[in-house]
Amino acid sequence: MALTQFVVNGLLVGALFAAVAVGFALIWGVVGIINLAHGELLMLGGYVTYWLVAFSGGSGGGSIWVALATVPVALAALYAVGYLLQRLLVTHVADADLFLTLLVTFGVSIVLQQLAIQAWSATPRSVGAGFADPSIVIAGVFIPKIKLIAFFGAIALTLLLWGYLRTTRRGRAIRAVAQNPEAARLVGIDVAHTRAVTFGLSAAIAGGTGSFVAMILSVQPQMGLAYTLKSFVIVVFGGLGSIPGALVGGLLLGSVEELTAGFVGSQWTLAVSFSLLVVLLLVKPSGLFGRSVEEGEG
Amino acid sequence: MSGESAKATGSRSSLARVLSALSDRAWLLLGLLVAVGAMLPTAGLSGFYLTVVVQMYIFAVLALSWDLVGGQTGYPSFGNMAFFGFGAYTTAILLKDWGVAFFPAVLAAGPVAVVFALVIGLAVLRLRGGYFAIATLGVLLVSVQLSRNFEFTGGASGKILFDIPPENTFYYVFLAILAVEAAVALYLTRTRFGYVLNAIRDDEGRATAMGVNTTYYKTAAWMLSALFTGWVGGAWGAFNTFVDPQTAYNLGWNVELITMALIGGAGTVAGPILGAFGLTLAIFVVDTVFPGWQLVALGLVIIATVLLLPDGIVGTLEERAAAMEYYEMGGEAAADSSAAAADETPGSSDPDVGDPEVSDS
Repeated sequence: MALTQFVVNGLLVGALFAAVAVGFALIWGVVGIINLAHGELLMLGGYVTYWLVAFSGGSGGGSIWVALATVPVALAALYAVGYLLQRLLVTHVADADLFLTLLVTFGVSIVLQQLAIQAWSATPRSVGAGFADPSIVIAGVFIPKIKLIAFFGAIALTLLLWGYLRTTRRGRAIRAVAQNPEAARLVGIDVAHTRAVTFGLSAAIAGGTGSFVAMILSVQPQMGLAYTLKSFVIVVFGGLGSIPGALVGGLLLGSVEELTAGFVGSQWTLAVSFSLLVVLLLVKPSGLFGRSVEEGEG
Repeated sequence: MSGESAKATGSRSSLARVLSALSDRAWLLLGLLVAVGAMLPTAGLSGFYLTVVVQMYIFAVLALSWDLVGGQTGYPSFGNMAFFGFGAYTTAILLKDWGVAFFPAVLAAGPVAVVFALVIGLAVLRLRGGYFAIATLGVLLVSVQLSRNFEFTGGASGKILFDIPPENTFYYVFLAILAVEAAVALYLTRTRFGYVLNAIRDDEGRATAMGVNTTYYKTAAWMLSALFTGWVGGAWGAFNTFVDPQTAYNLGWNVELITMALIGGAGTVAGPILGAFGLTLAIFVVDTVFPGWQLVALGLVIIATVLLLPDGIVGTLEERAAAMEYYEMGGEAAADSSAAAADETPGSSDPDVGDPEVSDS
């Protein structure tokens, strides 16, 4: 019984992990940047939702619908942040040494995190605390409604991004830039703009996921790094450039973490999931669903 | 600049001459600086200012240790503070629970960190680029969590230490660690060992093809880096009189030490030390004038450094010297100058971390 409950909890949270990881993989695959500030973008999205709900007067007992209505706002706001980040900053180091791009995004992550502490203090905040939160009970397994909503929200964000990359003209341009920026430029794609749009999309999906995290867990200025690392674990597991791989990886990581928390103790989750990562990297460095960037789906 | 150096009649431009003169006398310079450092407390340095200088030494050791692997070998670790924490815990446990005397307790910190480094290195040193960087960051975060969970580390509340030596003793301990490490680094950059590390950074595949056992050299550099980081961590733990997961694996310092090496010039010996001294002072100033904002300032410094000065101060100076020589002396001096540059720091000064792939070794 407990086992099923833990796995279900893990799958519910895992969808959120997957959505964050998809954004992380997108920017890695297309722009070639390992964005160490990715978790901070999620944190900002979470605060967008928290403050909008708080200002609409519902921080303690607001309706789920108000919270859900803030998700598009978080998406749009973080899209803008991501677009500007690429245009103003990352583009200057995109072709430089990988170490420099890591360091510059680490710099961005520190600045965002510390500004958030200065502005909003380090107190964890949650919009979900006040929700009347009835659970659906299926065969003795409790599924809180809000978590179910967040689960489907995160899946929807992931599928939307996947569909966008597969079907739209811009999506094809993004995949073209990922494969070969030079050739993309030759056929008339504005590479700089496309990369900025990609960064915007990556940030938007992180921000949207942050909204859901604010609803079912909590937001806190220093939460980012853990999510960046989770994203990394998932992307390595699922293979760079594979959205289905990231989805499976996210659900699996969520389950592993919940099982660890349930059977061993929540203070061991990071150690367990990261040890798994190191083992995986050593055994199968291209990921379980791995494909190279060239033939990937963006 | 050009008017000044037009007067130079030798075969070298003035900047290049100054740099190579300094480099030729590196041992003398190091000796002089250590002597000056050793005299500071007798010249009246104490209290707050002594703490600032101690902090400068600590960060110089951290930055230089990082650079052995990150700058010289091209494996940018984002988890060097793990060794610092191992060292700090070793000394704290030996002092408090085992009743070991101060000096043996600090001395043991280095070898313990080396043992950890060997085990961790066997796994992570097989990764390259971004994979290596994030794996080391993960090692650091896992170390924090393990130290918090285990009983013998004192859990989340850590260990409080009593009966530690006076401040001046610590001053000399840190100065000695820095002096020894600077000497070792200086010596190694002029030996086969140092050249192999640079060769691994520039092209690991080719180094392997030439018959170099790169795994051996990488692991050795990584363990050397851990040795000094562990020592300085051990001494710091006692100096701080308090070791807990939050401070022993200080995540802010973890980024600071990389920034210091980068600002000064990764892949050089003088660069990380200068960067550490400068940035430590700057952080103290920011902390005094705008308390609570030092990490924001650090983030901005990192971004500015990467954008404006990716080769660091020492690296940029060397490049400038080579370029000046090329323009002033024409083609024949160029060969001369590159030979001189190779003298100063073997290889180029930009750490090429290569593609995020697993290495072939």
